[in-house]
Amino acid sequence: MSDMNQQMAARYKNNFLKEVEAQVEMGEWVKMCMQCGVCAGSCPTNFHPGWEHPPQEIFMMIRAGKREEVLTSPSMWMCTSCYNCYVRCPRKLPITHIMHGLAEYAYQLGVAPKFQPTQHLSKTFWDNCTKTGRVNEVKLTQTLYFRDGLMAGIKQGLAMKDVALGLVKAKRLNLMEALGFGHKCKDIKGIHAMLAKARELEAKRKGRQPA
Amino acid sequence: MTSVVATNQTILVVGGGIAGMTAALEAAETGKNVVLVEKNPYLGGRTAQLYRYFPKMCHPTCGLEINLRRLKANPRIQVYTLAEVTGIEGRKGDYTVNVRLTPRYVNDNCTACGECGKAVEAEVSDAFNYNLGKVKVAYLPHAMAYPQRYVLDPSIVGTPDAERAKAACKYGAVDLDQKEETVSLRAGAIVWATGWQPYDAEKITPYRYGEFPNVITNVEFERLADPHGPTGGKILRPSDGREAKNIAFIQCAGSRDENHLRHCSRFCCMGSLKQTHYVQEAYGDEGKSTIYYIDIRAIDRFEDFYAKVKANPNVSFVKSKVARISQDKDGNPVCWGVDTEGYKRYATTHDLVVLAVGMEPSVKGVDIPAEVMADSSGFIMADPQNAGIFGAGCATNALDVNRAVQSATAAALRAIQVVNKVARAEG
Amino acid sequence: MADMKTAAYICKGCELGTRLDAAALVKTATKEGKMHLVREHDFLCSAEGVAMIQNDIDNEGVTHAAICACSRRAKTEAFNFPTTAISRGNLREGVIWVRPDTDEARETTQEMAEDYVRMACAEVKAMTQPKGNPNTGGVKTLLVVGGGISGMTAALEAARAGYKVVLVEKTGALGGWTAKLHKRIPTREPFKSPEDNGIADLIAQIEADANIKVYLNATLAKTAGAPGRFKVDIAVESGPTATEDVGAIVQATGFTPYDMNKLPHLGGGQANVVDQAGLEALARAANGGPIKRADGKEVKSVVFVQCAGQRDTTGEHLQYCSGHCCNTSIKQAMYFKDGNPDIDTVVLYTDLRTPGNGEDFYRSAQNKGVIFSKGAVSRVESAGGGCKVKFKDLILNEETEAEADLVVLATGMVPTSGPDLDALAEATRVAEGGDEAAKEQVIQLRSKSVLNLEYRQGPDIPQFKHGFNDSHFICFPYETRRTAIYAAGPVRRPMDTAQAVEDATGAAMKAIQAMENAGLGRAAHPRAGDLSFPTARLEGCTQCKRCTVECPFGAIDEDERRFPLFNESRCRRCGTCMGACPVRVISFENYSVNTVGAQIKAVDIPDEFSEKPRILILACENDAYPALDMAAMNRYEYSAFVRAIPVRCLGSVNTIWITDALNSGFDGVMLMGCKHGEEYQCHFVKGSELGRYRMSKVYDTLKGMNLEEQRLMDLEVAITDIETLPQRINDYAAKIVEMGMSPFKGL
Repeated sequence: MSDMNQQMAARYKNNFLKEVEAQVEMGEWVKMCMQCGVCAGSCPTNFHPGWEHPPQEIFMMIRAGKREEVLTSPSMWMCTSCYNCYVRCPRKLPITHIMHGLAEYAYQLGVAPKFQPTQHLSKTFWDNCTKTGRVNEVKLTQTLYFRDGLMAGIKQGLAMKDVALGLVKAKRLNLMEALGFGHKCKDIKGIHAMLAKARELEAKRKGRQPA
Repeated sequence: MTSVVATNQTILVVGGGIAGMTAALEAAETGKNVVLVEKNPYLGGRTAQLYRYFPKMCHPTCGLEINLRRLKANPRIQVYTLAEVTGIEGRKGDYTVNVRLTPRYVNDNCTACGECGKAVEAEVSDAFNYNLGKVKVAYLPHAMAYPQRYVLDPSIVGTPDAERAKAACKYGAVDLDQKEETVSLRAGAIVWATGWQPYDAEKITPYRYGEFPNVITNVEFERLADPHGPTGGKILRPSDGREAKNIAFIQCAGSRDENHLRHCSRFCCMGSLKQTHYVQEAYGDEGKSTIYYIDIRAIDRFEDFYAKVKANPNVSFVKSKVARISQDKDGNPVCWGVDTEGYKRYATTHDLVVLAVGMEPSVKGVDIPAEVMADSSGFIMADPQNAGIFGAGCATNALDVNRAVQSATAAALRAIQVVNKVARAEG
Repeated sequence: MADMKTAAYICKGCELGTRLDAAALVKTATKEGKMHLVREHDFLCSAEGVAMIQNDIDNEGVTHAAICACSRRAKTEAFNFPTTAISRGNLREGVIWVRPDTDEARETTQEMAEDYVRMACAEVKAMTQPKGNPNTGGVKTLLVVGGGISGMTAALEAARAGYKVVLVEKTGALGGWTAKLHKRIPTREPFKSPEDNGIADLIAQIEADANIKVYLNATLAKTAGAPGRFKVDIAVESGPTATEDVGAIVQATGFTPYDMNKLPHLGGGQANVVDQAGLEALARAANGGPIKRADGKEVKSVVFVQCAGQRDTTGEHLQYCSGHCCNTSIKQAMYFKDGNPDIDTVVLYTDLRTPGNGEDFYRSAQNKGVIFSKGAVSRVESAGGGCKVKFKDLILNEETEAEADLVVLATGMVPTSGPDLDALAEATRVAEGGDEAAKEQVIQLRSKSVLNLEYRQGPDIPQFKHGFNDSHFICFPYETRRTAIYAAGPVRRPMDTAQAVEDATGAAMKAIQAMENAGLGRAAHPRAGDLSFPTARLEGCTQCKRCTVECPFGAIDEDERRFPLFNESRCRRCGTCMGACPVRVISFENYSVNTVGAQIKAVDIPDEFSEKPRILILACENDAYPALDMAAMNRYEYSAFVRAIPVRCLGSVNTIWITDALNSGFDGVMLMGCKHGEEYQCHFVKGSELGRYRMSKVYDTLKGMNLEEQRLMDLEVAITDIETLPQRINDYAAKIVEMGMSPFKGL
């Protein structure tokens, strides 16, 4: 499926739309869009840079068969899950879910834009969280802060130190997590088994190779 | 109009708007006896509240005048105003209908001389002008109101104004002892023409109707443009009375939206195109209109009209459903959204926003007989098995005036088929 | 009239009694109006007042009554005495409500009132109570022309109401275009999938109905007569001509698809490009199986091009939208998708038009995987084994293209409405001069006739815009300019089958009504029920033909001696013939040159030193007169110098009224009529236009009389001109004062 040559699929054919329906969470709704643009207008990030293609345009691009442009677009990574678009859509498209679904699919295919901050956060969070079943906040913060190098990490850490101290005082942050202590799930193996099963089921449903 | 004896060969028409009047007149002019029931104190319905019609820019009152003349000349139609059907029993060819009559507190003696209106002091919201202004508690709803008789607002009863109105009337027309009553009528067939109501714009929360004074609806805009409306035909902002020269029209305000009305209301595109003429008429080249739309539905020969409006440099079109409206410090509404033709963001300030609200069938939620079927939007669908009660006009579909009249003319024949059959059976 | 007994009634209600000198009005009616009986009453429209009048009619033998009270538009039901000739002196809306209640105004207000009393008396004496057109026909059989879904529906609906029907279809089978549809657009909940076209059932119902007589392979060779007594020659292919008597006609002759060969840039004429009708044929041939192209290849991808040759702004193609084509393409895309969801179906549109519950149909198509794209198509080329569609994707803002095995062009409807009568009249005129090309054109245009009416004014219904037979009245969609002949379906206006069914039912209603009223000698809309009808004193006629040419409804033919031949039941009682007649031989019983002329003459004209000019207003009763009334209800004041007379239509205004008025010392004349031209608002379509044209000639007469042009003022008035009209009257009155009094006073 990762063969990008598939995007040569002729314009305005069903191929990519069908692929999206099969592979993308809630992708079967893409065809229902009527291009009113209320999603784009309702999006709180809409007036910020980065939204190269608003949702309704992404949907039109899918229908036009623009596979590569869609999957490599940073646009769907901009979604903050505020659900404004979903609530407002006159066709009741679950746009938030579709955006996440598209992002996920692009990531799975390995075509998602590199160094996209949302993607980095998601990946970091996921890896962190699934390790023990609970988030290790200190390590999560470290990984995020130090992504762009040591100096940048220290700078950002210092900038946030008052918040961090407050959290520590309120017992919302355990500095011992840095050493691998802190909260964990009771049955880590069980969590891992559940996640593996979920992946298997998803792969089966979407006809993908199990990861 | 005289007193018609209602029998099983009588046609009952419920609703006295353009569809109901048409159905009643077409049937009566074919020699049938008709009872016409209208819940307002006057006939004409929502068309009487329009300033002009598309595409001819002619005046609805012009057709109303002809229809009223037809009505006054026809002894076969009996009109009940301030009347509502409360129950229907029986079956095709033989219905018994209960009609509740609300007091007008003014009887047939009224000459519409207007002395009662001069005598009273209190005012109430002017429903005819969509509550944009006030009327005295003794009032004639509008200049062409038929019956041409004053109405006393029920709030007057027991107040000094009631006595003032009574004292002012030299003809004994003010009758404060009138009570609500229910009359029972027979009919062989029923035409249900209860029309529509504008969708409640407050439900479209991002547009802040009801909160921002300069966000109004298309039906209210008709009253603003009408020389006999609350502003004397001046297009002024409700917030500060300033001239509104830069006006946004937002299409599909409620329509084509599964959160509101799932159907397309059909008339609103043409309605807004028409209203850009009002802006042009009022302010010439200083008047600017912007239409925010999804698809312009200027169907069949209305395309000519759309083409003319498109050619007007003072009217612009943005293919976009406006996402939300904000208000700046001067009370100007600001429309936010994305032009979907090529993805252009906008946050445009206007003097006034007109929401092209859609049509909700008035029959929705009303207790109509079970055999009158309704579709998912609440419009009446003709039921081929029933064929004794027929929908007409906007009770059956989102229609413009022209099509509502067509629909009503057809409904009149369907009703005639029933009563003719009754007549043949009894003849 | 030996047995004429006249009465005048002076009402003193609504302050008439206090604002006016009622005793003086009584005197005026008695002395000057010469009424046999004059009564005053405090409240004339009360039950007691009405009973008083009724008593005079019943016991005093009153045949003619002048009711001097409020406007004729008020208390109409109270003052309804069907056997008595009634005139209304408008003292309330016409006088006291437009005049200030001041001592200075009292004299001129009283003069105004007295004039209206004189006028009401003069008018009623010139009237007789109409008894109805005796030349009626009682045929109650409906002729339906066209056996498509509109025609079949009209026939069945009329038959269900108990009327006999003759149905004429030019082809060998009923069903029309709808029969050629694989399926039709859904008409009922849930509006999700195409429906059976329903034609077989309709045909079966028609065949089973003993009231419906069907002629196939048949056309109308000749339609003569009038409502209630049409005689129709039906030419039947390979058979003798049949003759039928019918009372009214529904023309449901449908449409033809716009010729796609006129659209070569969109691939019209190419092998793999069809129009919507062509696609229906392919779908029917497939009969539920895979749809194949003409060359037998199974269609795997299809592009629908909306508005092909429609909504055209270049002037080359159809300017209008045919209304049904978006839903039709949606339906046709479903033909493919319902059979095989893998088939690529793309609809390229600029505005998708699916009103009402069509929105559900649109949603359903999307749900089935039809791709909709807002795109403007520039070219369709053949490429590979199929077509390449070049277009601008307006959402993605780029020029692009799509390939398809088949392209469907949504080309729209061209009405089958017969020849354009204006073109035919012009060609006939030229042909009469001996022009051979014009003669050929006349033959060619005549060959397109649908109805072949034996009418002086041409063989078919006049068309409105784009060749459709629509009325262009918003409130009265069915009105045509040929009484008792109604258009239904796409010949009237572009529409889909569901609308055509509704439309045909309405047209059948109107046709039935027209037959019933023709039988009773009554007029059709807008003067529905009017029993008056025009008559002509032929001994005075100069055979100028103006009445026959100008009648907006084609009611007047010419007899073999070239005199006008009135077909009363075709007449709509607008009076345009009366206005047109230069020798004033045409009149109605209750509306004539005399009823208005007598009023003009009855007005008291003060001498030239009085500083009291007199201005005559002739106001269209449909719009201008109500506007004056409503101005009065709002108590907008206007000049006491005007005297207003309602007329049926500006078209009925005879120029003699104007010259008589000016000759007898009126200082100015205002004509108030409806808008004319393309956006006409005249209820008689052409009346106000003809009236205006005629008035333009009066200016020469004015010159001949040495009078200023401004003595005649022609105003276009809408019913809503309630505030502005009094101002315009006052401005005109001021201008007249400035101009000075007419030199014709007292001559």
